[in-house]
Amino acid sequence: MSLFIYGTATNTGKNFFTRQDRLDFFLAGYPGSVWVIGNNEKGAVWFASKGGITKTKEEAQAIVDAEITAAQEAWDALTDSQKSISSRPSNIVLP
Amino acid sequence: MSTYKELFGKYVRSVSSDPPATNGEGQIWYNTTSNTFKTSTQVFAFSSGGNLNTARGWVGSAGNQTAGIIFGGSINPYPSFTGATEEYDGSSWTSVSNAPSPLSGIGPTGVGLQTAALSFGANGGAGYTNNSAEYNGSSWTAGGNMNTTSRDRSGAGIQTAAIGANCYIVGSQAEPNSETYNGSSWTAITGTGTARYEGMGFGTQTAMISCGGRNPPTSNLTASEEWNGSSWTAITGLPQGTHKGQGGGTTTDGCVFGGVGSPYYPATPVLNNKVDYDGSTWSISPATMSTARAYFGGDSATSSGIYAAGGGPGTYTDATEEFTGSLTVQTLTTS
Repeated sequence: MSLFIYGTATNTGKNFFTRQDRLDFFLAGYPGSVWVIGNNEKGAVWFASKGGITKTKEEAQAIVDAEITAAQEAWDALTDSQKSISSRPSNIVLP
Repeated sequence: MSTYKELFGKYVRSVSSDPPATNGEGQIWYNTTSNTFKTSTQVFAFSSGGNLNTARGWVGSAGNQTAGIIFGGSINPYPSFTGATEEYDGSSWTSVSNAPSPLSGIGPTGVGLQTAALSFGANGGAGYTNNSAEYNGSSWTAGGNMNTTSRDRSGAGIQTAAIGANCYIVGSQAEPNSETYNGSSWTAITGTGTARYEGMGFGTQTAMISCGGRNPPTSNLTASEEWNGSSWTAITGLPQGTHKGQGGGTTTDGCVFGGVGSPYYPATPVLNNKVDYDGSTWSISPATMSTARAYFGGDSATSSGIYAAGGGPGTYTDATEEFTGSLTVQTLTTS
C-alpha cells in the first residue's frame, strides 16, 4: 500500500480541513488544487468527503508541473525591474 | 530514583477511562483499561480558514486569527497592484475600504489590530512611498510620512507605537534603516546590525525580534536581532535563511512561519513550517501549514493567534490557515 493518496479537491475554506484532521493524517496542498493525503482510513474518508478526485502520483505531479511552468513563464516575461522584486517559482516535487 | 509522590506530593490516580481533556490539563493518570499513563495538553495544528475574496500576495496584515485584516499587495497575475482590504472574523473575510494609493501595492508592512491597523512603505504603481496610513475599523486615513521611502520592513507594535526595522530602498536595496512611529510622526532609530529586507518581525515597539530577510542577489538570511527600545543585539539565527514569511508573538514567546527558504537562489523553495522562539532558542514546531507559502499575510500579538492568508508560490492563493490548539488527551511514552 502506498504511503499517500494523490488527487485534486477544491479548498472550500473554513473547516475544509480541521485541526483534528491535521492530527489524524498527513495533508499537504499544492498548486492546481492538488492534495497529498496520508493513506490511512481517516485520510481516505476525509478525501472522499471533500469530493476529491483521485489521481496517480504522476498525474498529480503533471498538474503541479503545469501550474509551476505557467508561473515560471509569467515570471520570465516580467521586466528586469519586476524580476528583481519577486522570485522565480521553483519546481515542486511531490512526496 | 524519585517517585511521582515525592516530586509532586500526590500519587498518580488509576482510572478505567480517561477524564475529559479539559479536566485533565496538567495532570497525569494511569488508564487501567489501556495500561498506559496519560495526560492532557494543548496540541496545536493548522486548520483551514475562510477563503479570501481576492486571492493575492505581497500583502500587509495585522490583527489575529479571530480579528484579522489584510490589505494591499498584488492580485493575479503579478504585478497587478491592489489596495483591496479585507477583515477576517475567524470564519470569513469581508471586503472593506481600500487602502489608499500609493500604499496600494506590494510590500506594505502592517502592524496593530483589525480596528487600529497601520500600513507603511510599499511599492505601488506610482513607485515607492514613504507614506503610512491608519485604519480605524471602517476607513483609512493618512498617517505621518516616514523619513525614508522604502518597502518590506520587519514590523511590530501597534498603531500608536510601531516600529519598522530594515527595508528595501531604491538604489541601495537592503538597508538597516529603522524607524518608530508614535501615532503621528516617525523617528529614525539605530539601524539593525544586518542590512536586509523582506524579513519577519514580531513583538512591540520596545521589545521586538527582527529576523531573516534577504540581501540580494544570493543571501537569504538567518540573522536575527532583538530590539530593547534603544539598541539591537544579535541573537541566535533562524534554523535556515528565510524571507517573506510572517511572524507573531513576543520576544519570549514568538514564532515565524512560511516564507522562502534556503538555498533560495536561483531556486525559491517555499516553506510550510513554523519556527518558535522562546527568548533564546529557535525550534521547529511539529505543526506545519498544509500548504507551503510565502508573500502572504498573517500576524498576531500572541504566537498562538497567528493565521496565514494568501501568498504564493506561483499563482496567488485565496486560502487561509489558522494555528489552533485544543486540550487533547495524550499517552505518555518514553521517547
